[in-house]
Amino acid sequence: MPDTAATEFVSRAVVLSGWDLALASGLVVIAGLVSLVLRLGLEKRLLLAAVRTVVQLLLLGLILRFVFEPSSHWLLALIVAVMLLAASHAGVQRSERRFPGLTFLALICLTISAMFTTVVVTGLVIGVDPWYEPRYMIPLLGMILGNGLTGISLCVDSLLASLHDSTGHIEMDLAMGATRWEAARGPLRDAVRRGMIPILNSMSVVGIVAIPGMMTGQILAGADPAQAAKYQIVVMFMIAAATSLCCILMALLIYRRLFNNRHQLRAGSIRKITS
Amino acid sequence: MLSVDQLTLSANPNSQQPLLEPLSFTLNPDQAVALVGPSGCGKTTLLRTIAGLIDPLSGCVTLHNQSPKEIGWPSFRQKVGLVPQRPVLWDTTVCENLLRPLSFSSIKHTYLPKDVQAMLAAVDLEDKLNEPATQLSEGERQRICLVRALLAKPDFMLLDEPTSALDEASIQTVESLLNKHMADTPGLGVLIVTHDRAFADRFCSRIIDLSDYLLQSQAVTDA
Repeated sequence: MPDTAATEFVSRAVVLSGWDLALASGLVVIAGLVSLVLRLGLEKRLLLAAVRTVVQLLLLGLILRFVFEPSSHWLLALIVAVMLLAASHAGVQRSERRFPGLTFLALICLTISAMFTTVVVTGLVIGVDPWYEPRYMIPLLGMILGNGLTGISLCVDSLLASLHDSTGHIEMDLAMGATRWEAARGPLRDAVRRGMIPILNSMSVVGIVAIPGMMTGQILAGADPAQAAKYQIVVMFMIAAATSLCCILMALLIYRRLFNNRHQLRAGSIRKITS
Repeated sequence: MLSVDQLTLSANPNSQQPLLEPLSFTLNPDQAVALVGPSGCGKTTLLRTIAGLIDPLSGCVTLHNQSPKEIGWPSFRQKVGLVPQRPVLWDTTVCENLLRPLSFSSIKHTYLPKDVQAMLAAVDLEDKLNEPATQLSEGERQRICLVRALLAKPDFMLLDEPTSALDEASIQTVESLLNKHMADTPGLGVLIVTHDRAFADRFCSRIIDLSDYLLQSQAVTDA
């Protein structure tokens, strides 16, 4: 589609007023009424979730206004650091088994994979100048981290459960003369595969079962659907690359931590978290 | 020659508490040595430490006067075959379980089908080759693990209670297999943890009683 047509779509963006948001909240009221009638007991949680959604997103909008100012590099760095820390913490918290220093390993993996992918996409694919232009970097980084932490948490959960539950088999392999890599490669492969399942599933059904949130948002904001689709393709590839890199790095770092150079498995370091 | 020199065992991986007095002994080629002692005194931990699966608090193990680091840990473990008390098999056929070590880079030889058949026949399991390993009885699984270790042609074998899950007839079968294998394999030395004193007396030329190495403060219950 020619550029003029794309510009025409942009001009169709509808500006939402406070009244529009209040109207939308009526939809949540309907859900609350259903809960009340069916005695599901979800009204309070629904109300709290709705309030949190409004406060958090309006706050985010306000902060991003500041961050998108050209001179706020320090604020940008701070926000990126907070995003990385929060993502690595959340990624590890979902795992049933952990060991000391796991969050730090997650931080390393998310930082490397997310920053690498973001720089490639903003600097090379989209061609933003500078590559850290907040308007592009923050949303893209958010999408990468959101998916990366899901990948990491599945990968870590699978790997630690496997190493813990199969200690006997892994040590049997080691006792028969396997190197640590030969003994660990099965659980490592399964864990990386597990971490990649959500993004692979999303890529398989995208556009058929569901229209992704980012593409929907762009279309609602008046963008040309063809352009929105192209952006979405870039985003899907970006998330796939970042998630796979993140899972592989995490699995390798855990492997290095739990198998020492005497080719022993240190399964005793793994602790089950009881909540 | 497998030498254990002033080895101090750790009660668990995160503990600096010694399990026994420092231990020293030598296992020579063509020799069978039994390790006996009360339950919980550290017999299994000793075998796992000798195999290098856990670190000792102090002391060292050498094989033919070389440290495991010099030999390379995987090669060292291939030469010192450990058979644990609880049989560890994968959810595949008996055949695939027996061939598993061949996928490891430290194993430099291969097995011939006739070797596998002969070894299985020696423990009365020749008809189980293509059966799922997990469907075997505990005693059969234990014998499969023994056969798998013997096929890897180690210089020394560390056997943890190899007869614990076996009836009298199966004990005789395993004993015959070990005797025959030792006779057919010059240089093979065997270190056996056992509660079966009669088996130890019959099969081993030397018995090490870990009761002699118990710490003064240690309270263990006899089995």
